[in-house]
Amino acid sequence: MNERPLGNPPYAADAAAEVLEQHGRRLFDASVENLDMRIRSRLNQARQSALEAAAAPRPRWLRVPLWTRAAGFTTAGALALALWIGGPQGQHAASLADGASNLEDLEMVASADENSADAIEMLQDDIEFYDWAAGKSAPESGNVG
Amino acid sequence: MSGFATLSHAWMAWDGPAPAPGDAVLDRTRELDKFLAEVERRAFRIAQVSLRDPDDALDVVQDSMLKLARNYGERPSAEWRPLFYRILENSIRDLQRRRMVRKRLMVWMPGAKEDPEDEAQDPLDNVAAAGPDAPELLMQAEAMRQLEISLRALPARQREAFMLRNFEGMDVAETAAAMGCSEGSVKTHYSRAVHTLRTQLGEVWR
Repeated sequence: MNERPLGNPPYAADAAAEVLEQHGRRLFDASVENLDMRIRSRLNQARQSALEAAAAPRPRWLRVPLWTRAAGFTTAGALALALWIGGPQGQHAASLADGASNLEDLEMVASADENSADAIEMLQDDIEFYDWAAGKSAPESGNVG
Repeated sequence: MSGFATLSHAWMAWDGPAPAPGDAVLDRTRELDKFLAEVERRAFRIAQVSLRDPDDALDVVQDSMLKLARNYGERPSAEWRPLFYRILENSIRDLQRRRMVRKRLMVWMPGAKEDPEDEAQDPLDNVAAAGPDAPELLMQAEAMRQLEISLRALPARQREAFMLRNFEGMDVAETAAAMGCSEGSVKTHYSRAVHTLRTQLGEVWR
């Protein structure tokens, strides 16, 4: 994992881009190596907790029907849009300077899928990805699902 | 027969990975543990670049680990990496959306203070304790700080493409799978990111 040699950047179109890619990767690797022990320890604990929680069966009452999620999703989206459009005028009138970032914000808010915590929502969102994943796993396993 | 019915009922209530003989389950858990141990620090840094706040980054990484283990632990291990980063990027975006909605709510509340999470984090907080090579570490930390500032200024999709391709060393197909877009889009996002970063950082890093 992560074995790509530094001398082979993905898209170095010219020398300056190559320098940027290699230097960026080295800096990132160094920042990972230099993570302090507190963070490392918390990551280790997080991993153990995640594996334990995944191994434990979820109680029935935690499993919410799909229609409830859909209703929540719609409400959250409508609320977000209302907040965006209906806020005090002076606070978010888009200027030319920040127009691009506001558009990106709007896109994120409008597509809000709060609590998209489970596979069902991801499945709905990402048909193409699951086609890809299914294609990759087809030769080895036919029992995934 | 009633024993079988009980077992069948228990299986219907089970949401986790499909049961398998004991050794196989243990091996699978170990394999997943190993995979997560390999990616957790890098995933944390990627989340931190996007979110700034280390506690938020930790939450997002733990949440992503849980989702991968719970929903995809039984998938072939070769698929874990793009799946994990797909989940991570989705979780990062979800958190950013929540922040944005919260920010909009704050606008409605007279006298509300700015969200403390928006305050810039000092990247030196996460530098290891000063040792003999402290000056070099400080230089690296400063260069990384510049890179993080420039990355945060990029559109989200360009930032994702750059971090997955460059930091994680994913190929185009893996990156496309992790980002949920076409390979052509990955190439476009990535080349635009490199162009912008080169413009911003070229002089600094020359």
